[in-house]
Amino acid sequence: MKTPRLSRETCLVLQRFLERPTDWRYGYELSRATGLKSGTLYPILMRLEKYGLLEARWVATEDGVPPRHTYRLTPNGLELARTQLAEARPSWAVRQPALSGG
Amino acid sequence: MLETPLRQAATVLLDSAIRIAPPEAREWGHAMRGELSYVQGPWATLMWGLGGASVMAKHSLISLLMPGHQGMMPGDELFAKRIPLRKVALVAGAGCVLASLLFFAAPPFRQALRVALNPWRFMLHEIANRSPQSGFLALAKRAEAQRDPEGMAFCAVRLWDGREAAHLAEEAVRLDPTLLWVYAFVGSRHPALPETGPWVEKLERWDPQNALFPLIRAQVVERAEFRPGGWWRPTEEQKRALQSAMAAAFQSPRFDDYLDRLAQVNRRVVARYRYYDPYEVESRPQFGLHAYAFDSAQRYAISLLQSGAELEARGDRKGARDQYWSVARFGQMVDSQGHTALEHWAGTSLQAMAYKQLQASFQKENNQVEAALFGYLAAKFGPVSGSHAGLPEESAFGSYVARRNAAVVQLSGLMILVFAGLLVAATTILMVGSLQGGSVSPSVDGAGKQRTAQRAKPVATLVVLSSAAGMLFSCVTLYLTYRPYWYIFQTAIQTGSSSQTSDFHLFLMATQTPPGVPDRFIPLLLDSLFYAGSPGFLFYVWTAVTLLGVIGLAVILLRHLHTHGPANRLQHHSRVQ
Repeated sequence: MKTPRLSRETCLVLQRFLERPTDWRYGYELSRATGLKSGTLYPILMRLEKYGLLEARWVATEDGVPPRHTYRLTPNGLELARTQLAEARPSWAVRQPALSGG
Repeated sequence: MLETPLRQAATVLLDSAIRIAPPEAREWGHAMRGELSYVQGPWATLMWGLGGASVMAKHSLISLLMPGHQGMMPGDELFAKRIPLRKVALVAGAGCVLASLLFFAAPPFRQALRVALNPWRFMLHEIANRSPQSGFLALAKRAEAQRDPEGMAFCAVRLWDGREAAHLAEEAVRLDPTLLWVYAFVGSRHPALPETGPWVEKLERWDPQNALFPLIRAQVVERAEFRPGGWWRPTEEQKRALQSAMAAAFQSPRFDDYLDRLAQVNRRVVARYRYYDPYEVESRPQFGLHAYAFDSAQRYAISLLQSGAELEARGDRKGARDQYWSVARFGQMVDSQGHTALEHWAGTSLQAMAYKQLQASFQKENNQVEAALFGYLAAKFGPVSGSHAGLPEESAFGSYVARRNAAVVQLSGLMILVFAGLLVAATTILMVGSLQGGSVSPSVDGAGKQRTAQRAKPVATLVVLSSAAGMLFSCVTLYLTYRPYWYIFQTAIQTGSSSQTSDFHLFLMATQTPPGVPDRFIPLLLDSLFYAGSPGFLFYVWTAVTLLGVIGLAVILLRHLHTHGPANRLQHHSRVQ
């Protein structure tokens, strides 16, 4: 089986999900936690969702404010994330401290 | 204060991007749009909107370039988000480069690029101490080797080197005596040549009614005695020679500067040798008589008008008007039969002076109708309100348009070079990265090299794409801006028509110096550096700049190797683990 390539940014996102695996997370919250801009974060979320690793749902908000999209990892996503992060840690964790500040 | 407008801008931007996004990506656009209300800070909101818009734009681009492709992840490359986009970018970049290269197949584009880079070519020739006419000299040698009188005549009238020009002119006339008029151009351009006097005598015998030759004689007298840095005081003999030349010129019934004949030779020689250098071929302003020939004519005209006024004061009105009319007639002749801007300007100035005197003369006679007519003509040709006033070139669009187009052409040409350089550098980085990525062993060091290469690839890909797009844009801009001038040039060569060539001359003059630099600045700078006591100074400056650049690049490379070298990476990994 071909080993999937794991980008540093994807690792950061997965790591945040793994911190509280059952919680639904907002996009802006993930952006602040990972330091990733919307232009980087959302393509990652889109790919994870497309491959069934992430589930998304809409949450109603107060009147006049658009509904929000929230996310959490599926059981498959959790399993793959744990495996991948354990394998990939030496390669991506090197620069993580510099990024986690944002 | 900025909160509301920036938030609104971000919302509008994102909404617009969602509208153009493919249907499968729109939900994600709305997701980013939903978060916009919670982003803190106006600038952060704008950045969020920009990021979201870029995601939607990427999806739109991919759906446009690869219709039917759902999303950004083909196959099993689950997390390799950059690979497909990079491929798309590289394909798009290659397409742009190919399209740019196709422009080189178009002759107008090649000529445009040559014109765009002309000031730098001129500077390089100066620095290398080579004649900017070196290419043209090669053409002259070819024409001489082929015993082609028209080719030699074409070169003789353009060469800056007087001796070489005289040699070619004599050879051309020896082979084809009908080209005798070539002497007029060479003699007019190089009046200090000893051959000029005998040439003018031959020309006067050949075409005795032409006012051009007495004017060349006057030019020879003035030029021969010209002393830089002081006013020229002609001797009595020179005064008599000038007076005689001017009297002959003013009595001549016609004026022919032979530019029509030269245009015919141009047409044939350019086609024969495929020599399409616009600076050499279409250089009408530098042909014809020099300004001091017309200075002499003006001084002579003033003396005629003064003598007319004296006659009028003595009551000889007819004699006075004959004097005025001789000036007006000469002005009309030069204006109507001449071809250069200087000839038109000189002709109209002389007419204005004469008409003013005639107006005054008829006013004294209380002939208001004639006075009004000559008043109108004096105003029409005069320097204040006249249509020719202070206008060295009669152009359709004016010098502003010529200068603006010249700047656009020059900047486009420069940007093509800059983008080509960036493209080569980024492509080299990508190729080196690919080789490193494919050849390293699966060790810790190998993985580090792969990661370094992977990290460099997105930036290099972006540079490749943007450089290729920039190069294509510059090529299109250069081509479209120069194309009208190409048509003017081609029409002038093929039909001999001088329609709109003034616009082309103004444009060519504006391309002599880099954009933003005043006319004649570069030649003056080079003169001052090379010929005013500091020979080779500019060469040393450029050498120093180049060396500093090379040293700077070497330092950057060494620092990179030091930071990302194998030893450091091993140390780095051991620290992490």
